Amino acid sequence: MKGTLSIVGFGLSTIGPGTATGLIFAAYINGVARQPEARSILQPIAFLGFALAEALAIFGLVLAFVLK
Amino acid sequence: MATNEDGAFWTIIAYLISGLGFWGGIGYLGDRHFKTNFLTILGMGFGLVTGLYLIWIKFIKENPPQ
Amino acid sequence: MLLAPHMAQPAFVPPSSADFFFNPAFGNSILATKPVMLLLFSVILITAFFTVSARKAAILPSRLQFSGELIYGFVRDGIGRDVIGEEFQRFVPFLFAIFTFVLTNNLFGVVPFMQFPTMSHIGFPVSITIFVYLVYHYVAIKKKGLGRYLKEMCFMPGVPKAVYVILAPVEFLTYFAVRPLTLAMRLFGNMFAGHLLLLLFTLGGEYMLKSALFVKFFAILSFGLAIGLSFFEMGIQCLQAYIFTLLAALYIAGALADEH
Repeated sequence: MKGTLSIVGFGLSTIGPGTATGLIFAAYINGVARQPEARSILQPIAFLGFALAEALAIFGLVLAFVLK
Repeated sequence: MATNEDGAFWTIIAYLISGLGFWGGIGYLGDRHFKTNFLTILGMGFGLVTGLYLIWIKFIKENPPQ
Repeated sequence: MLLAPHMAQPAFVPPSSADFFFNPAFGNSILATKPVMLLLFSVILITAFFTVSARKAAILPSRLQFSGELIYGFVRDGIGRDVIGEEFQRFVPFLFAIFTFVLTNNLFGVVPFMQFPTMSHIGFPVSITIFVYLVYHYVAIKKKGLGRYLKEMCFMPGVPKAVYVILAPVEFLTYFAVRPLTLAMRLFGNMFAGHLLLLLFTLGGEYMLKSALFVKFFAILSFGLAIGLSFFEMGIQCLQAYIFTLLAALYIAGALADEH
């Protein structure tokens, strides 16, 4: 087998953000479904959570390229 | 612009990538120039914060939660 | 050792990126390879379908005309009007061409006997992205002028002056490099990975079929999974064509929008 271990590390590092994104949007959809008028309040919060979770995934992606 | 929900996710990702890429890249070049090894990771952290700040300006400050 | 392959059988070779390159059907030209052929075939197919469906346009549409209008209406109303806004009519042909082109080429990945998504070669998504890139910058520069476009792009209001030094290059990079890059990479990556997945299960099933008797039963599982994943891939291929067009429309809308 050939390849670098960095890619495996990146794969592992996406598990957390993936789960987090799923949970965030599950909660967001739940909230909007229960109270459609709360959409404008929930949307920025959901985006903030999404950005914070996704930042870690992209950090992992860049580290996979940087680390040797 | 880009308050559209479908596009916002990809815009967020694009900001994070470019923030990390730009300041991390500058840190990498600094590392090569000054023969150090901490500037890359410092630049990446800084770029991450920059990207998050941009997202905060574009998506969260403009339509604040009441 | 029931699970071990026969001694005579060579080890399993997993599919790799080498499986995405084809020898030319004739001659030495790269234009005679399978992806390019599929691309040309898709153009002929799209042109023929929409010419035929629109030729005998009637008030009471035939089934063919209805299906053609369904796709057109989806792109015009669902993507064009909803995203771009009042000036959408100008961009509908462009978006429609992108959508049908990408969709047809993606769907070649699951059509029997073709089974190769053209977009899993990075050159094709990149060339479509170049068109999108040119269009949305051209639209913005024509509407606002180069100076104002750059100023609005890099210097958003409501930020302290000193912070612009940090933010402006990141914004610039986002608009000029990362957006088109992610646009092309997303389509390419999805098609590449999807095709690789199908290849893995098909080749794995084939290998198991040649192995010991006990292992042969797992081949059925592998082939079944390959068929199931083909349908899953079909969904992904439609979704990726939609997302590609949607993002192209969003970038155009962003170029047209007046910021404050």
